[in-house]
Amino acid sequence: MAFDFVPAIVLLPFVSFLVALFFGKKMPKRGAYGGIVATAGALAVSIWVLLSVRGGNVHEVTYYTWATGVGDQPWELTFGALIDPLSSLMLVIVTLIALLVHVFSLGYMNDEGETDLPRYYAGLGLFTASMLGFVIADNLLMAFMFFELVGLCSFLLIGFWYRRDAPPSAAKKAFLVTRFGDYFFLIGVVAVFTTFGTAAFAGPESFPALAEQALNGNFDVWTPGDLGVETWFTIIGLLILGGVIGKSAQFPLHTWLPDAMQGPTPVSALIHAATMVAAGVYLVARMYGFYVLTPTTMAIIALVGGFTALFAATMGVVKKEIKQVLAYSTISQYGYMMLALGAGSYVAATFHLMTHAFFKALLFLGAGAVIIAMHHNENMWDMGGLKDKMPVTYLTFLAGSLALAGIAPFSGFWSKDEILYEAFIHGLNDPILLAGWVMGLLAVPVTAFYTFRMVFLTFHGNPRTETARNPEPLGWNVKGPLSVLGVLAVVAGFVNMVPVQKLTGIELDYLTQWLDSGAEGLTYSGYNALLAEYAGYEAGVVAGSETTTLLIAAGLGLGLAVVGVLVALALYNVDEPVEHTDKLGDAKTVLYNNYYQDEFQVWLSARTQDVAGGADTFDQGVVDGVVNGVSSVSLVSGDRIRRIQTGIVGNYALLLTLGLTALLVVFGLLGGWFV
Amino acid sequence: MTDTSRGSRKPGVAAVALFGVLVAVILSSASGFGDPTGFPADESVVHNIGYALFDIELGEIASEGFLAAFLIIALALDVALDSAVYLAKQEDEGSVVSALTDGGRDIASTDSPGSVDASGTTDSQSAVDSDGGEP
Amino acid sequence: MVPLEYYLLLSSAIFCIGLFGILTRRNALYFLMSVELMMNAAILNLVAFSFHWGNLTGQTFALFAIALAAAEVAVGIGIILALYRNFGDIDVMEAATMRW
Repeated sequence: MAFDFVPAIVLLPFVSFLVALFFGKKMPKRGAYGGIVATAGALAVSIWVLLSVRGGNVHEVTYYTWATGVGDQPWELTFGALIDPLSSLMLVIVTLIALLVHVFSLGYMNDEGETDLPRYYAGLGLFTASMLGFVIADNLLMAFMFFELVGLCSFLLIGFWYRRDAPPSAAKKAFLVTRFGDYFFLIGVVAVFTTFGTAAFAGPESFPALAEQALNGNFDVWTPGDLGVETWFTIIGLLILGGVIGKSAQFPLHTWLPDAMQGPTPVSALIHAATMVAAGVYLVARMYGFYVLTPTTMAIIALVGGFTALFAATMGVVKKEIKQVLAYSTISQYGYMMLALGAGSYVAATFHLMTHAFFKALLFLGAGAVIIAMHHNENMWDMGGLKDKMPVTYLTFLAGSLALAGIAPFSGFWSKDEILYEAFIHGLNDPILLAGWVMGLLAVPVTAFYTFRMVFLTFHGNPRTETARNPEPLGWNVKGPLSVLGVLAVVAGFVNMVPVQKLTGIELDYLTQWLDSGAEGLTYSGYNALLAEYAGYEAGVVAGSETTTLLIAAGLGLGLAVVGVLVALALYNVDEPVEHTDKLGDAKTVLYNNYYQDEFQVWLSARTQDVAGGADTFDQGVVDGVVNGVSSVSLVSGDRIRRIQTGIVGNYALLLTLGLTALLVVFGLLGGWFV
Repeated sequence: MTDTSRGSRKPGVAAVALFGVLVAVILSSASGFGDPTGFPADESVVHNIGYALFDIELGEIASEGFLAAFLIIALALDVALDSAVYLAKQEDEGSVVSALTDGGRDIASTDSPGSVDASGTTDSQSAVDSDGGEP
Repeated sequence: MVPLEYYLLLSSAIFCIGLFGILTRRNALYFLMSVELMMNAAILNLVAFSFHWGNLTGQTFALFAIALAAAEVAVGIGIILALYRNFGDIDVMEAATMRW
């Protein structure tokens, strides 16, 4: 029954998009109430769907076939929905955060007197619809189409304040960098179709299932040239990974995310923290049955993830603006999720996706509240002492920061700990995964450090400017969402307290069980079996028993996090903090300039421009040159030949005579007159 | 009067070349002509030309009939005469001014500036008829 | 009997002399005279062949051609008059405005 209403989840926000676009100017809050009603409706249906999926009910349906193959190719291109535990969970997360962001926007945008709001709410509505469409997609091509739509909405919303210089440029950068990755994704989609004849995610005829059978030798797939089946599958996985790296802002396509902070803060909270960047990770989780068959791709995912986690964390240490710190934190945390996926832990990645969505959205909305209070000044060095004036914001922000830093019993601790644990035990048998684990572990204290540096600089100490002494008061449309997310940031971790379960034996791993139900081939244990068989992942132990391994890993994680917090406490929890990061000297310059990655990418695109310039010269010089040359033959020869007409009769007579003579000679020779 | 306005003589080479070609053709075909059939000695050629002009089949020498051509050329000569007179008229006066027939001497009473001069007088007699002639 | 080829040689010589005049002369009247020469060459050719074949068509045709030559000269003189009026000189090299 609930499954009949699945299209409503996508269509309700889409209708709010249309309403805001066409009628927004006439509405009292310029389309906000329409958006709130639509997302609330979508949330209600999503929760109903979630409850219906319990017990392993999976719903797969095709809504529309928009192309059928001709001749030998039995492909069909369809739009359909796949509702299983993973997608229904993601639906609830996305709709909940979208609803809270819409409510928050009333305070951030409407109450601050922003203009052009119908366009803003239309963008939010279209984005929500596209993201939800992406989540329910049942085949790779549909997922790709919504992936691109989501990127478009990101472009529209980042560049919302287009009359300034920076936002359109940042929007263009976001679009181009993610588009670069999506190009490889598209090639991957075509490769999947060509190889398997289908791009469906689920069912015995889905491409992960067919891939497994191909590796067993039970199914023939097309491979280019003489490439081995496993090598080709690795290549396909890497192609699709291109889009994932772009969208989830992993190294090297991470440069767009800090610049995307030019958009309004609720947009940053919705798109660039909790949902759009999650699309990449969600995609890998969706087709995990395919990825686990290729250990090389898994290793690369883990390595990229671990590296990004550490790399971005180091850059977050020296930033001055509160949203920039959070942007680098997002990049870093998605690195953790990729590490989890590469290390074989589907559940840990999904768990961290969920908790991160809550606490990162919370932190961004909190930053938004601070920005409202500080009259849109984002520089943390102009803040200070806000905790007394903004208690709700402070407490929720603190909850989010504790979750981000990974301090027990906040949600972030449980998910991050599970990631590191899984990476560790699989890494004991695989050096690349171990390297990823080491990088992820090193990022833990850095994360904790920069998070609490941010908290102390913003909320503690003495106010450093007049605005900080008298911040703007906030309404309940701001504090309400913050409170909801604050509660979630605390309790969300309790759905999967695996360490406690392993130590005490009580069944507490609700999320794992949730993700274990569902369709054949899409379950957690199914993936584990494939991992063991095809990727060769085995769980190792240290010092003899699993419990000890668990305690060591958890202890290391928690300990390092606490160390990071203590260092930040010592340095920044003073009345007049100073920029201690200056002591890093030249290293600080490198970090502040983001390891010059932005300049490097600009340089690369300038080289592409050179190539384009060369192609243009070829086109104009050679191709156009040939065409113009042909016409110039006609023009020049005409110009020369017309000079015969001198207008002098004698010349004409001469020509006649010569012509006659020549004709006579020719006819005479041919006709034998002269013989 | 000699023509002092002769142009360059170089184009004339083409005429010489043409002559050379024609000579070559004629001489190489000279053997193929055979003996000319002359006219019978006792017949008057001129009378026979007359008979031919008027389509009268009286004479002994063969010919085509040229009556139609005779009449047409009468017409054509008439037209040619009129057109010559017309072209010789001066355009810049409304009245018809023929050239003076007095050897070119200006006559003071008619003061037409730039009257036709030494190009010669145009004969204002009627069309020349070529006559069969009387033997 | 004079063999035919002598007549033909004579006629082609006169034709080429006329052609020479056309190619080299600048005065329009001399030009016209050269044209007359060429016409006479052609007429001579006609008469020669008339004698060769014993048919009077050639001679009669030659008469008509002479008459037409006269008419043509009349018209030609008229054209030279117009040429003089427009260009101020009867030099054929002067009248070269219909050019490229």
